[in-house]
Amino acid sequence: MSEVALARPRNRKRFHLRNVGPKLVATLLALALAAVFLGPMYLVVITSIKSNKDFLAGPFALPSGVTFEPYRQVWQELHFGDLVGNSLLYASTGAALAVLLALVPAFALSRFDLPGKAVLFGIFLTGLMLPQQTVLIPLYATLRTLHLLDSKIGLIIVHGIYGMPAQILILRGFMTAIPSEIEKAARIEGATDFEVFWKVILPLSVPGIIVGYSLNFIAIWKEFVFGLVFLNHEANFPVTVGMLKLNSDRYMSVFNLPAAGLVISQIPIVILFILCYRKLTSGNFVGAVKG
Amino acid sequence: MAISRKQRESRSFLVFAKNHVFVTIFGVVVPVVLFLCLIGYPIVYTIYLSFFEWNGMAPVKKFVGLANYAYLTGDKYFYVALFNNLKWLVVSLIFPVTLGFLIAYAMRLRVVYFPSFLRTAVFFPVTMSLIAVGLMFLLILNPIFGAFDTLLRSLGLGFLVREWFGDFHIALYTLTVISGWAFTGLPMIFYFAGLGDVPKETIDAARIEGAGHFRMITGVALPQLRPVTAVVVMLTLFESFKAFDLVAVLTKGAPFGTTNVLGYLVYLESFWNSRFGYGATLSVAILVLSVALAALLLATVLKGAFRE
Repeated sequence: MSEVALARPRNRKRFHLRNVGPKLVATLLALALAAVFLGPMYLVVITSIKSNKDFLAGPFALPSGVTFEPYRQVWQELHFGDLVGNSLLYASTGAALAVLLALVPAFALSRFDLPGKAVLFGIFLTGLMLPQQTVLIPLYATLRTLHLLDSKIGLIIVHGIYGMPAQILILRGFMTAIPSEIEKAARIEGATDFEVFWKVILPLSVPGIIVGYSLNFIAIWKEFVFGLVFLNHEANFPVTVGMLKLNSDRYMSVFNLPAAGLVISQIPIVILFILCYRKLTSGNFVGAVKG
Repeated sequence: MAISRKQRESRSFLVFAKNHVFVTIFGVVVPVVLFLCLIGYPIVYTIYLSFFEWNGMAPVKKFVGLANYAYLTGDKYFYVALFNNLKWLVVSLIFPVTLGFLIAYAMRLRVVYFPSFLRTAVFFPVTMSLIAVGLMFLLILNPIFGAFDTLLRSLGLGFLVREWFGDFHIALYTLTVISGWAFTGLPMIFYFAGLGDVPKETIDAARIEGAGHFRMITGVALPQLRPVTAVVVMLTLFESFKAFDLVAVLTKGAPFGTTNVLGYLVYLESFWNSRFGYGATLSVAILVLSVALAALLLATVLKGAFRE
């Protein structure tokens, strides 16, 4: 882009001026569209800091003052501390397990002429597309047999293994992009498969690992069905299951309470989103799926 | 890649396994075994269970042959749910997928200023749990305190106000539009990445020939993006058949079961009505129908898209 600009500055400027009008109109449209996506979130945040009296003034009215009373109340009554803690545990360890399990398969699928590669690939793709509901009943029975029903470890294992296929695809994409010259150099010096994996491929795959881990973290944070079906005790509930209570007359009479709960449930993801924003929205991981 | 020609010729897995013990064990055996235990076996068991009657507790399951399937073909709730899933798919293809493409196009071709602002705004809902999204729209679409109806009334569009979740003509579409709102960011990211791979020369050439945006999209972008479209359509298809969370938090199938989707029906029949056998039959139906639809699309509209 910049090279073109340097080579033909006049041309570019003329092009620019002629298009300024339509581009402004398009930008206004884009801003309106952005409002459709950001508006609901803005309203929820504003509602969450309103007092009961301010709430009655209408959804668009600005609050007369900021109160954190709704936050305090839902935090205590719904035990949000435990819920967020559980979700953090499930998401961080489940995603770690998924990435850990996926590293060597991704290495095998990306750097070797593996016999039966297509079959292996097909198997993992099936895992990616499978609707969770279709395996709920047998998984429920299996977990019961293993005494892992209603246990944190059970849910972590399920999340880890169900996250693995997507991680294999994402990491395979990143590993395929590593130039083979680097690997050849190591091979010439007599490196074994493990050494190539450990000393060459793994360090170069760190960006892919970060992307894969973040995506899986978010996916587990959002997950609802497994938590709903495999857990009974509130002490084990993730946020998504625990916050269902907000949808009751008890909390829906004044909206600042459910709004505060909503904001709390999203805060950890907002932090992650800010940390990994560039990586997540650049679409780098898409290359992995395009095959 | 790193393998000598001699090894490449011997396509036997055993030869490969002997030469690459580490890769074989941790790259093939361990993941495949785990996969078979927790993903493969449950699928097979679901199919097995679909031939039985079982309340989930009794030690003995009663073999009923194809009775569950016979019941399925006459179950009107099944058809309602199936058509709801199909409507969900169609709305998803029209709204979030098309919109996601247009946003990605506008950003890549610099049709707008501040493109990354729009991208952030649209992508953020993708990171929200559908439970949170559902609760949020429950507040916004509330008939008394909700922001949406208030906005419509203040714009003089009060006649458009409906019982968004209570009117059985539109409740399902309310759900699909909410789902689309939360989903748009995903096709957008896929198309954004895909458009980045379209050679700049191709776009410039079309521009010099005076192609407007319509020609640019239909003549250049979409043909070049066929593989991405195939992935996006498959993703949308499977997401539509997975629909569950929004139904569970917003309507629970009400009013009158008109917002039931297959995924929710499985949950209801299995874990509320304790009909695990029939729940399994419904699961098999989801699996078969979604795979069949995927195969149909890949064989017709998306033919060859994955090979380009």
